[in-house]
Amino acid sequence: MNQELIERFVAGRLNEAEAEAFEEYCLANPEFARQVEYEQRLKAGIAQVARGSTAEFVRSNHHTARWNFAAAAGILLSLLAMYYAWSHYVPHAVKPLMAAVTTDEQRDGASLRLALVRGNEAAPALQKGLTRVEIVGLFDLGFHYSVTLDRLEKNKKVDTIATLYSQHPSSPVTLEVMIDSDRLQPGTYSLRVRRQASDEEPLDFGFVKF
Amino acid sequence: MDFVPGGELSRRIREGDVSAESELIRQFEPGLRVLLRRRTGGDYGLLQDLVQETLLVVIQRLRGAGIDDPQKLAAFAAQTARNLAIASLRKAERQKTDVDSDATDRNADPKQNVDGHAADLEAALAVRALLRELPQARDRLMLKRFYLDEHDKDIICQEMDLTEAAFNQALSRARRRFRQILEERGFSKRDLLSSGL
Repeated sequence: MNQELIERFVAGRLNEAEAEAFEEYCLANPEFARQVEYEQRLKAGIAQVARGSTAEFVRSNHHTARWNFAAAAGILLSLLAMYYAWSHYVPHAVKPLMAAVTTDEQRDGASLRLALVRGNEAAPALQKGLTRVEIVGLFDLGFHYSVTLDRLEKNKKVDTIATLYSQHPSSPVTLEVMIDSDRLQPGTYSLRVRRQASDEEPLDFGFVKF
Repeated sequence: MDFVPGGELSRRIREGDVSAESELIRQFEPGLRVLLRRRTGGDYGLLQDLVQETLLVVIQRLRGAGIDDPQKLAAFAAQTARNLAIASLRKAERQKTDVDSDATDRNADPKQNVDGHAADLEAALAVRALLRELPQARDRLMLKRFYLDEHDKDIICQEMDLTEAAFNQALSRARRRFRQILEERGFSKRDLLSSGL
């Protein structure tokens, strides 16, 4: 068996009989199967990364620095705008509806894990009080993310309630925010997570508040 | 480790040798992942479930009635995996015909469900790391065209002004590095099934 045959199998270019014979050869040869699996995972990983955008594949090295500078400038402007809004419009006594996770007490408190799970059609329920919402997905630690809280009305209208910018993932697969559940009306909500300074598709996570 | 023939594995498992069951898992698990990955449409969670289910079915069969031709144990395991994959697909199809419309509205993009949450996140993270490391924009584009766009090697070489040797060398370098990244991060060391049976 050679590399070309592995490539043809992984690309789905063998006919069914050839593919089945290839698979049985893999079962009888575990080390060869591992080689095939790496090829399958490389292809799957590329498809997964390209799901939102293929920018990472086509960027030139020269553009990287420019995009990094643009992202940094964007973040700085967002921070300045947020500080201006905070200092001019937000009464300091008001607790925010949605905020970043900043203390150990928040980390140890009530939490809700949001992940789009295969076959799961029931939206999770947000408990009462201040709750840490753990969003599970694929995040890049080198980027900042915006998190938008939308209320989904019955007439399909989407009402944006709050947006947090410049959130940093706590791990490559987790991003966390605090939500004050008591300030939400009962209904169906969606958290939309978007990587800033990119054209990657946002991720949507639904939940309900009773 | 040495490869143990199917006939010997079947006999030892029938005689109650637990180490033979571990050996069977070690031998067949990589091949089953290859076989089932093709049949689970990128759903990594389903793939892992089916690998485990197949190994359970095969071991239980060997512990009990056995199989007609023990020499063809690999073929029996392969066919079991295929049957389970087909059954799983049928079950999913049946579930699709009875869906709560409100829930459908809430989860408007089913593709995103599969891609975003059951996908092989480890492989995606390793690809991201690989892309950051590749110094040549040409190499990144080559990977995209070969694996994502599924263009023929000949066409890629012609359009990117590459010799076949240069193409193969770059591809082989990328493959090696991808495997290295996964191994460095411990992503390839899976013993999930050994402890579960």
